[in-house]
Amino acid sequence: MNERACHLPGLDPTTLDWETLLFDKSGWDLKIDVPVITGPDVQSLAEHIRRHTRQTLATYPVRRIVEIIDKAIARLLDRDDPYRRRMEEVLPAITGYDREMLRLGLTQYLKSFRKPELQRFLAEDFPNPAILDQFQPLAKGGHGLAFGPEICAHIWAGNVPGLPLWSLVSGLLVKSGTIGKVPSAEPMFATWFAKLLSEIEPELADCIAIAWWKGGEEDAENELLAEADIALAYGGNEALSAIQSRIPITTRFLAHGHKVSFSLIGREAMDAEKCAVTARLVAYDVARYDQHGCFSPHVIFAETGGTVAPRQFAQFLAHELATLERKFPRQPLSIPEASSVADWRNAEELVAGAEVVGDTDGAWSVSYLENEDGFRPSALNRTIRVVAVDDLASVPIRAARYKRLLQTVGIAVSPQRLLSLSQDLGAAGVTRIAAVGDMTAPEAGWHHDGRFNLSDLVRIVEIDGRAFAAADRLAPYAD
Amino acid sequence: MEFSHPLNSFSAPRDPSPSLSVKDESMDQEDIIATVLDFIEMEGTDDAAFNNVALKLFAYQFKNNEPFMKFARKRGKTPRTVKSWKDIPAVPINAFKTMNLSCSPIEEAEAIFMTSGTTLGGVRGKSYHPVLDIYDASMRRNFRDRFMGRYERIKMGIVFPPPSLMPNSSLAHYLDLAVRDFGINNSRHLMSASGIEFTHLFEDLAEAEQTNQPYALLGASFSLVHVLDEMARIGHTVVLPSGSRILDTGGFKGQSRELQQDEFYNCLETAFGVPRSHCINMYGMTELSSQFYDDGNISCPSVKSGPHWLRTRVVNPLTGESIPDSQTGILAHTDLAHFNICTTILTEDAGVAIDNGFQLIGRAAGIEAQGCSMAVDEFLKAASGT
Repeated sequence: MNERACHLPGLDPTTLDWETLLFDKSGWDLKIDVPVITGPDVQSLAEHIRRHTRQTLATYPVRRIVEIIDKAIARLLDRDDPYRRRMEEVLPAITGYDREMLRLGLTQYLKSFRKPELQRFLAEDFPNPAILDQFQPLAKGGHGLAFGPEICAHIWAGNVPGLPLWSLVSGLLVKSGTIGKVPSAEPMFATWFAKLLSEIEPELADCIAIAWWKGGEEDAENELLAEADIALAYGGNEALSAIQSRIPITTRFLAHGHKVSFSLIGREAMDAEKCAVTARLVAYDVARYDQHGCFSPHVIFAETGGTVAPRQFAQFLAHELATLERKFPRQPLSIPEASSVADWRNAEELVAGAEVVGDTDGAWSVSYLENEDGFRPSALNRTIRVVAVDDLASVPIRAARYKRLLQTVGIAVSPQRLLSLSQDLGAAGVTRIAAVGDMTAPEAGWHHDGRFNLSDLVRIVEIDGRAFAAADRLAPYAD
Repeated sequence: MEFSHPLNSFSAPRDPSPSLSVKDESMDQEDIIATVLDFIEMEGTDDAAFNNVALKLFAYQFKNNEPFMKFARKRGKTPRTVKSWKDIPAVPINAFKTMNLSCSPIEEAEAIFMTSGTTLGGVRGKSYHPVLDIYDASMRRNFRDRFMGRYERIKMGIVFPPPSLMPNSSLAHYLDLAVRDFGINNSRHLMSASGIEFTHLFEDLAEAEQTNQPYALLGASFSLVHVLDEMARIGHTVVLPSGSRILDTGGFKGQSRELQQDEFYNCLETAFGVPRSHCINMYGMTELSSQFYDDGNISCPSVKSGPHWLRTRVVNPLTGESIPDSQTGILAHTDLAHFNICTTILTEDAGVAIDNGFQLIGRAAGIEAQGCSMAVDEFLKAASGT
């Protein structure tokens, strides 16, 4: 039986046209039915969501929302839960990622959304999270109350599993109604999450809509952008600027463009004892989601002066990638993807003069370069460049050219250098510095692309401090 | 220290022997040209004969074309290890932009054909031809067999600039050969530095209609779109006499409206009265010395094939292995006429092997990353914008 994507409260599914998306990349032949919705459908969805959110979700205390999400996550962490079972079964077929890698990744990822982690999300953005429920005293004087948007539009992209969860959860925590648009590449995760929340708290079924249309289809998308109080979008810069051009100026637009990440390996991580471990961690960063994440590394800068030379480090890395390929095989590649890997290998060899090693089937490739500026994105799918540098301190300056594109830096250096390098990396445009091996698993409450997950979504309503004094004058008990 | 890896076979173990060690069968340029010319003229060649010439050419190119030799060696391919034309390493067409591939001194080349340079920062791929004898012989025999039908000569109009205006265009040279060797006397180019000469074109079309002499219109696909647009604008159509034919090549390349193939051939049929069966598409590349043709475009995509000295494999671009018929892969062509550079190239075109030929599916490149990581093209675009 075909899977059915989307969750459209208030719309009658029998009156909608349905299309079927085919996922046959992993030889699975999975079919997912998606409803085709139009501008007027989006309008009635928005009306429905807005009305119900006002009546229910917007009146919940934030701790109740935390409890609901926590319950949902607990179910998804339970490998016997039917939703979890379906995720484990269907996501590999949709995305092509290795089943075991997905399973482990899912558990690790979901753990960032349990109650203590959600509390950390809140605490990160609001010194006093009760500001989401009631007026709270502000440090400057007066009182403030944070309102989430009535409708937050989420336009997701790509197939990194679970990606929609970040913004979905953020929207819920600020009591916002949600209309999310899923990409054709992975329409199910958000669907399941919406259904699961509805089971746990039936009132929420009418506060979240998960919809699909072909990327860039303007009719439905324009309607969504017109209805939304805040629009969040993920994707390439071209797609984002197309969306931006259609957003009313009064609507806040939060764009998450594609990003590149890289790693720094200090000489202190490259002695005979530590090198193998470092290489294993780096290989894991590369293999996880086959480099499709914005936090996945494209280039590894390895410092000279350790007992293991950068060139040997590249060999260690190649070995670890070969091992990982047996444990978590890379997804099968489409012909265009295989072409881009082949092009990358050829370009490294021909243009950059790198030494390139890889396995015959192209499951992984490592290129090694010296005396090179070094920045060039990989072809994804486990293609990685190792660049030898005499001093890691020279890297932030090189990276600064790409300021707007940078995100995470994986790092393996001693404590003394961690802070000083991080300061320079930050100045160069990097927004997150993580230990190698942790690049693809950001902490709960991290500042995605250097921004605030929750406070970017709210509007603070404040009562001017003097209003209280003025009100006193009018009190029945005024002297 | 060798940078190698126990599992690594991408750069296979290098053959330590010098290139000439087996037995020095290497030929000089004159011998090679004679061998290839003979082969082009032959009738009824078989696999073994093709293989034989391909291996001779590989040995010749390996010996005389140093960048190619290095490229082949890195892949563990030498005259000692290559036993079949299918083992000859396919040079990606990007390499024509960055390496000076040639068996003879490039400054002595009779012709240098260059690509239009629309990618890789405008760097143009180059093919050096020390002489054009083989290129021309290949073109003539193939063009006669695949385009001319029963005619020795036909009146031609060329909607493309002459070589004097585009000295580095292989297409300009090709079309010039066509008009010189296969056109009757008053055939002519219909494009000059100032663009398409519509007056001449409409004169020639009218004359063909009046005299009932078949007419052949040849040009870049996008030039023909400009012609179609102009004819639509002024509401002009003609019905060319039976036996007339059209040759288009090269696609639209953003230089005209992009038409679906069916729409394009329907428009040609309507505007010129030439049935789609007589609308031939030629597929050629600057990185080759021979061309592919289809047998008309009654249905699209058509099946294309080359002459007996040109073979195509549909491969997985990563492994170089052939992909089963009817599955999409990347086209790799082995052209024995490309004697001075390399016989085998890896294109960026996707295709499917079918009926002793292939269908062209489109460009392989231009994928968008599925995740939120940045793909190379986008990175370069974004980085140059900062």
